[in-house]
Amino acid sequence: MTNLSDLNFDEMSLAEFEQYLPDFFATYNGRISDNPQFATFLQANPDCAALVRDLEYIAETAKSLFEPTEEPSDAVWSNIQSKLNSVTSDSDDPTETEPPPLAEA
Amino acid sequence: MTSESTTIDLQNSPVSQPKPAGLFKRNPPIAGEAEAIESAKAGDAEAFSKLYALHKRRVYTLCLRMLGNVSEAEDMTQEAFLHLFRKINSFRGESAFSTWLHRLTVNLVLMHLRKKGLNLVSLEETINPSEDDAPKRDFGSRDPQLAGSVDRVTLERAVASLPPGYRMVFVLHDVEGFEHNEIATMLECSTGNSKSQLHKARLKLRELLRNPESSTPPAVFKEAAK
Repeated sequence: MTNLSDLNFDEMSLAEFEQYLPDFFATYNGRISDNPQFATFLQANPDCAALVRDLEYIAETAKSLFEPTEEPSDAVWSNIQSKLNSVTSDSDDPTETEPPPLAEA
Repeated sequence: MTSESTTIDLQNSPVSQPKPAGLFKRNPPIAGEAEAIESAKAGDAEAFSKLYALHKRRVYTLCLRMLGNVSEAEDMTQEAFLHLFRKINSFRGESAFSTWLHRLTVNLVLMHLRKKGLNLVSLEETINPSEDDAPKRDFGSRDPQLAGSVDRVTLERAVASLPPGYRMVFVLHDVEGFEHNEIATMLECSTGNSKSQLHKARLKLRELLRNPESSTPPAVFKEAAK
């Protein structure tokens, strides 16, 4: 396994760059285009530079998907309540209470 | 909804491991959450319903993205919260609660997929896409760059049309913020495999985003919106 630090970044071949690109992204926290180590190579290979910028952009835009957009139907909570109720009714502890209606988020 | 047993063994799940500081940034504490957790641990059902209300959307969206199916996503959301109800006392606050809950959910979904016969052990062999679905090329294109041209909806649509193996790793890493070593543990593959799948997923997305017509409509999200 090649240590990335052993690579000559300025004189990498396209094949080497392609081979190690997943490792580069993982090693340099997803930022390659503004890493001085790659400056010479990317300047000499504009297609690689365009690819890198696109992949960085995709990864960055993906963070916007973290905030949820979808909501489960009310049936999901009803089912959870029902299951918890059955657990409660099976319990030996008579002080356990039934699950309440769903709280407001 | 599924009625199968919910006694799922998560002994091998990494839910109790400390998380890198990075995920705390994406999962900041929610007002009132800590109190609800402590109350829920003590058996307060109202507190549990509050936790459901706080986290149902993220858990469901995660399930939906991983499974691509509304019905299954709702089933797994249900299972995740039932599991949470039973296991909440094992939450020790070593990571953000939502991070812990998401790990629990991911592990449940993966177990569900394994039960369905989807072998996640060897991603390359089992859920790698066909040649038609694989990214075509890395270099050699002078097409306009994507930067600034992709909104959230467009990306969501493209992600939904990714082959399952690519989508899984992309969602876990780029959306949920898990590290490659964590993904490798969850998917029972090598970190190199996780890196490779993520790279291929991004390449495929680049292709799809440059040719939006080739993305299938996000049926799963349309269905969810009904």
